[in-house]
Amino acid sequence: MSRLVKIEWLKIRSNATFWVLVGLHIGIVLMIVLSGKIFIGNLSINGSNLKDFAGINNIPIYQFPDIWHNITYVAGFLKFILAIYMIISITNEITYDTLRQNIMNGLSRVDFIISKLFLVFLLSVGSTLFVFITGFSLGISTTTDLALHDVIKYSGFIPAYFLQLTAYLIFALFIGLLIRRTGLAMGLLFLYSLIIEPVLGLRIQNEAIKGFLPMKSISNLIHMPFGKYLLREIQDYVTFREIIIVIAYVFVFIWLIYLLLKKRDLK
Amino acid sequence: MPSLNNVVTTQNLTKHYGHIRAADNLNLEIPEKSVFGILGPNGSGKTTTLGMLLDVIIPTSGTYSWFGNQSNTENRRQIGSILETPAFYPYLSAVDNLKIIAEIKSTGYGAINDVLTLVGLYERRHSTFRTFSLGMKQRLALASALLSDPRVMILDEPTNGLDPRGIAEIRDLIRTIAAQGKTIILASHLLDEVQKVCSHFAVLNKGKLLYSGLVNDVSGDEQRIELSADDVNQLYSLLENYPGKKNLEVKDNRIIITLPGDASVTRLSSYIYQQGVVPTHLVALHRSLEKQFLDILNESK
Repeated sequence: MSRLVKIEWLKIRSNATFWVLVGLHIGIVLMIVLSGKIFIGNLSINGSNLKDFAGINNIPIYQFPDIWHNITYVAGFLKFILAIYMIISITNEITYDTLRQNIMNGLSRVDFIISKLFLVFLLSVGSTLFVFITGFSLGISTTTDLALHDVIKYSGFIPAYFLQLTAYLIFALFIGLLIRRTGLAMGLLFLYSLIIEPVLGLRIQNEAIKGFLPMKSISNLIHMPFGKYLLREIQDYVTFREIIIVIAYVFVFIWLIYLLLKKRDLK
Repeated sequence: MPSLNNVVTTQNLTKHYGHIRAADNLNLEIPEKSVFGILGPNGSGKTTTLGMLLDVIIPTSGTYSWFGNQSNTENRRQIGSILETPAFYPYLSAVDNLKIIAEIKSTGYGAINDVLTLVGLYERRHSTFRTFSLGMKQRLALASALLSDPRVMILDEPTNGLDPRGIAEIRDLIRTIAAQGKTIILASHLLDEVQKVCSHFAVLNKGKLLYSGLVNDVSGDEQRIELSADDVNQLYSLLENYPGKKNLEVKDNRIIITLPGDASVTRLSSYIYQQGVVPTHLVALHRSLEKQFLDILNESK
């Protein structure tokens, strides 16, 4: 096992693209989170604009417990930056013929998949840790009445963020392996998550059924939190059912990856 | 000759791409410690066959077995292989690329500097792969194949794109490696290359195995000797009566006599001397592998 970790680590250690994209992910998450007040001010939900709402500076977006829900929701939008690296990583292995050479040298196909899943795990754990530390620091420095109860409340969104990211990156891995070409795979990933599935979703009236669509189920793990500042009802928890659907998709994607690699000639 | 074990055997190994039979019911046996040349025109199925033996191409039917067992992943770690073009991570240095291979093969990093020195890349070990010339890439591929001190090396067109000096170096390297008791499987469309380094060879065409045998057998069951003398006519009439003669022809003032494969050339020359004729020219004509190869291909038509 540690051998597979080491193999993947050697591949990314001196890879400029890896560090640039990780840096971008961290930088952009920080930028958006720290400009949260501006972001919130421009947010309008069903015609009501938060800027017109009295006491915008009193909105506790950075305070415990709200920070956990807010930061994971915002960071969830930027998972696509890490997905880009996931696609580059797998399509490069194909275009460089190194996937084939790895197998020839004595790596099994399953070992290869495990080493790529380690990369997914590394990116997910790293990003979750970063979001946790940022959220915790913001919470500690802005919450006036610090209570353990508030720190813990909503912190369940941290593992939800981890699951969301893991599932999305495994999906990106699958798309990369399926399409093989870097640009085409990225195009399909965005086309599917931004256009194809949402359009498909429009035809489904039932929210519960819509929740079974892969991208929708992944984003459903963390519902939009900001409505509550307009005194609207929001879902500020993760349901068991939502978790199970996403975990099921994780297994389905891994199974599809396995089938793709098992049957394919590596020429 | 003592019977040696085979490193790999195939049973009816077949690969179809649609209607094309890239490999058609191949039954190959590659003996241990041989330098085994796989010859064939471009597109004859050499790379497809090697790809199947290395588990990167899934056979349509048939089986193969390395070292007499079925555990393929473990077996591949004892095989150093290059198929077609060298495949490395372009953004990594030579050393880092070899470290990945060492991890895959579960060997230490100890041999990395040695193999880089052997192929003359030690000075460039920290340069990234993308800065290498084609010749250097080929040599790094050879270094990677040698890294785990493998039992078997599979080289597919190893001298492709190399200059004459590079080709000679690779050839010497192959001989050196073979002398260490390793089995080398060499696919090539260059007959000369196979004749110079191989002990065994097989001929593939359109996915079919046409021939498999020893390179020395190439001279086969007959040999041809070219002779000349001051008086060619006298020599001709002498040879007409030579016992065991199979054929006699005259070409450009020279006589070519065909004798059985086991006939002694010394006896022939002393016979001529005894009859009072001094030959000015006496050369055993080797039937070249190229001629043999073309004959095999023609016979199959």
